[in-house]
Amino acid sequence: MNKQNDNPETFPRLGQILLWVDKKKNVDRIVYALYAICALLFVADFLYHKHTEIKVEEIPGFYALYGFFMCAALVICAKGLRLLLKRPEDYYAPYDTQSEEYPEDQLERIDHDA
Amino acid sequence: MLEQIPTAFLFFAAAIVLFAIPQGRARAALLLVVPVIAALHVWTLPFGVFAQKEFFGFTLDLLRVDKLSRVFALIFTIAAFLGNLYAWHVRDTVQQVAALLYAGSAIGAVFAGDLITLFFYWEGTAIASVFLIWARRTEGAFNTGMRYLVVQIGSGVVLIAGVALIYRETGSIAFELMTLGSLGTWLVFLSFGVKAAFPLLHNWLQDSYSAATVTGTVILSAFTTKLAIYALARGFAGTEILIYIGAIMTLFPIFFAVIENDLRRVLAYSLNNQLGFMVVGIGVGTELALNGTAAHAFAHILYKALLFMSIGAVLYRTGTAKGSELGGLYRTMPLTMIFCVVGAAAISAFPLFSGFVSKSLILSASAHEGHYIVWAILLFASAGVFHHSGIKIPYFAFFAHDSGLRPKEAPRHMLLAMGFAAALSIAIGVFPSNLYALLPYDVEYVPYTTTHVITQLQLLMFSALAFAVLVRTGVYPPELKSVNLDTDWTYRRLIPRVIIGVRKVVSRLWQINSNFWLRRINSAISRLYHSHGPEGRIAQVWPTGSMVLWIAILLGITLIVNFVS
Repeated sequence: MNKQNDNPETFPRLGQILLWVDKKKNVDRIVYALYAICALLFVADFLYHKHTEIKVEEIPGFYALYGFFMCAALVICAKGLRLLLKRPEDYYAPYDTQSEEYPEDQLERIDHDA
Repeated sequence: MLEQIPTAFLFFAAAIVLFAIPQGRARAALLLVVPVIAALHVWTLPFGVFAQKEFFGFTLDLLRVDKLSRVFALIFTIAAFLGNLYAWHVRDTVQQVAALLYAGSAIGAVFAGDLITLFFYWEGTAIASVFLIWARRTEGAFNTGMRYLVVQIGSGVVLIAGVALIYRETGSIAFELMTLGSLGTWLVFLSFGVKAAFPLLHNWLQDSYSAATVTGTVILSAFTTKLAIYALARGFAGTEILIYIGAIMTLFPIFFAVIENDLRRVLAYSLNNQLGFMVVGIGVGTELALNGTAAHAFAHILYKALLFMSIGAVLYRTGTAKGSELGGLYRTMPLTMIFCVVGAAAISAFPLFSGFVSKSLILSASAHEGHYIVWAILLFASAGVFHHSGIKIPYFAFFAHDSGLRPKEAPRHMLLAMGFAAALSIAIGVFPSNLYALLPYDVEYVPYTTTHVITQLQLLMFSALAFAVLVRTGVYPPELKSVNLDTDWTYRRLIPRVIIGVRKVVSRLWQINSNFWLRRINSAISRLYHSHGPEGRIAQVWPTGSMVLWIAILLGITLIVNFVS
């Protein structure tokens, strides 16, 4: 599909509104909002009485730190795993669907502007 | 009277009636009406055992209704309805019949009161469902379907072997709680484990669910694995080994999901991970834990179908479900995007969504019973699920870099199906007591406490923070056109290679051996020929008279022999 079809006025209404996130500046805003929410949630841990069942839960911000560091570790480990496991897309071809196009007759591929 | 008709038979009857109705709206409507009638039927069934039939001296219980089987049968009828609504546009008789028989078999298996009935329906789900993969009608799909069928039928064969051993041992075919010990129970356990996608037995799931048709995957995602979860909950509740199997199941698929490119495969990995939570619940086996498993299966079928539907809609409109080819679709498919995000929020267990009120039962039960390491693994897996299903799926399909694709919004019936699933996912999250009332045991659990909401939000938001930081620093692995090796490599590459290698060695040895003997025999023949053949030396010096002499001697010997005897 070429860029000539890329006229925002042909997008659905909701899509036009959501184009707000197309701007780099607004994406930054979202990320800053996320930082703020995280900071608030971390502070919130000191403001209420936590009902805990396990010792480690009592550490302030345990869930926050656990979520952050475990996820970072997850991504970095997975990235390392890729070195070992990644193969070209046609590795199993022709006994695999990964290298195949999806059958055209089962799709309804209509351009938005068509 | 109504309780004497097994619910499964409604689906089988509809599969026959289907042929009398011409392809079109009427037939699509029939496919919607059947699950609704089935749901009403399930709902009105009283508890007890009905529809008993004699079969070669066995009494088969076709309809055992209690709280556990009812909640699973109910969600299966809802899943069949949503799947058929999503497939409203499909005009393929093969897929329509397969969907009906598949849903019917799954519901039949859930209501099976004995192991022989269970076996029949167990194989029924295998045979009916493979057509949803073959319906793609490509060479790759045919081969994938074959692999799927081998595994699924294999599971059934192991099941009937186990049942036979149990029958010889106990003289009973009742499907009740079992204790692992004899070979028979282990075989039944293994058979359930194959369908529940236990670690190392799991890869049929990712292999086949990413290969089926757009609508087929949605239907596939609901039944087979949750049937196995039901069977485990019925047969092996409280079996300790399941806790560890389940914990591993929640753990390893998330690593694969992060680096997988095909988004339907990512969802299949996260499905595998969600099954792990349910398996842990079965292993813990307390009332709270089993409630958690049933509740999580119920919620999971809805949001997993919802996620598969949204990615299916993308595939339907663009022809691909690969992260490397997609991106920026929120512009023209905003509603699909929103439904996808709802599914993502539900699977990530955000407060007010269904995962929050169901998964926490299992986590709470495992902590309660003192399985702290398992609890920590489940917590990590919850964060990981949010990472790859909650963020990665919507992000790479609908946002990330602009792929330039401007497909139309999903068709109306697909939006409607997604809307129903999304509404149910939110309704369960907001009013958990309705779901809790359906569970096998009484629920005293309160999901919405300050501690639970805040800690869960902390976990999720900081996982999102990790994602944001990693993406913005460029550490996050990009989506690449690739496949990743998994255990299927052993039977798709290693074993064929080994067989080919062995064949080469054996054929070479055979060749050497036969060559050796052939050469010997040939040289013996040629030497004999050389000396005794018509041109040979001996033939040259043979006088004609010697032949006459030899004949005379021969006749003489004959005479003597005759005379002596």
